[in-house]
Amino acid sequence: MKPIGLYRKFLFFSLIFAIATPVCAGVPTEKIKDTTEKILSIVTDPDLKGPDRDKERKALIREVVDERFDWEELSRRALARHWRKLNEEQKKEFIILFGKLLERTYLDRVEGYSGEQVTYVNEVIEGEYALVEIKVLTTKGTEIPVNYKLRKKGEDWRVYDIAIEGVSLVNNYRVQFNDIITKSSYEELVKKLQEKVAEK
Amino acid sequence: MKRFDIELTVGLFIIAGILCLGYLSVKLGRMEILGSKGYEVYALFSNSGGLKNGSSVVIAGVDVGRVKSISLEDYQARVLINLSEGVEIQEDAIASIKTKGLIGEKFIEITPGGSETIIPPGGRIRETQPPIDFEQVISKYVFGKVD
Repeated sequence: MKPIGLYRKFLFFSLIFAIATPVCAGVPTEKIKDTTEKILSIVTDPDLKGPDRDKERKALIREVVDERFDWEELSRRALARHWRKLNEEQKKEFIILFGKLLERTYLDRVEGYSGEQVTYVNEVIEGEYALVEIKVLTTKGTEIPVNYKLRKKGEDWRVYDIAIEGVSLVNNYRVQFNDIITKSSYEELVKKLQEKVAEK
Repeated sequence: MKRFDIELTVGLFIIAGILCLGYLSVKLGRMEILGSKGYEVYALFSNSGGLKNGSSVVIAGVDVGRVKSISLEDYQARVLINLSEGVEIQEDAIASIKTKGLIGEKFIEITPGGSETIIPPGGRIRETQPPIDFEQVISKYVFGKVD
């Protein structure tokens, strides 16, 4: 074998490996980074500060989050086996309601942003699923690990679950929803959620 | 003839006793001799803290299987679970490691999902939740209060 043939072979194999091994900061991480930066730019925008611009700011954040989150998948996973019993209209209603509940619960925390640092730790892609691990460094110096779980939808990556300190958001709601539905009924759950969302 | 009868009876009793002992030790030790019924699935946890071979796997508090083995794979815990026949786990089910009571033993709880796809034998439960490390949570709380 001539050295030139060996060199070609090496080039060929290294090309295969270059395609096969995922790049460190791949598409899912880029997507999460993009969304995070967009939200931070809204939260830190001095023009949008103040209680009178509250609604506008919240709507802007919601818009950015909607782009990245797969609300249907989140709702489906949270309701689990009860999801299949719903008709299309109920499903639509639930997706909106669940979105509002999460918005109510977490938006205030996002708005309470006070210079926390975000570092991107790891990314795992397996077929149409991806995991993006980040760490939030609070101003007090504690690190909070946050894992985003994404699923490929067309060309886009959408979040279907978040785990903070290893605790899954979907699992948390799945257990609670299941409890309420088995104790009473789906209608009762919707009523409870509506009350929660309407609370000031 | 009479003497032979007594010896035979004693022998039979001893054999029966040994069989009972064998059965007990297999049951208590949760050993499997003839291979277990059901099928196997596996799950990857970032931390399997305190889980052991033979730990129970439950759905809604009902025993549906046991942990067969725990090994290291890519610095994650690969937990092999043996599930009873007839138990179906959906593709979006979540397996979480929980503690019985505050300081009890660890077990795996599976919260069933809503997907139409069922995990086949040898498949993987993708969604997992490691046990909450109370020590870490407390230390975070403690060190978080520096100022």
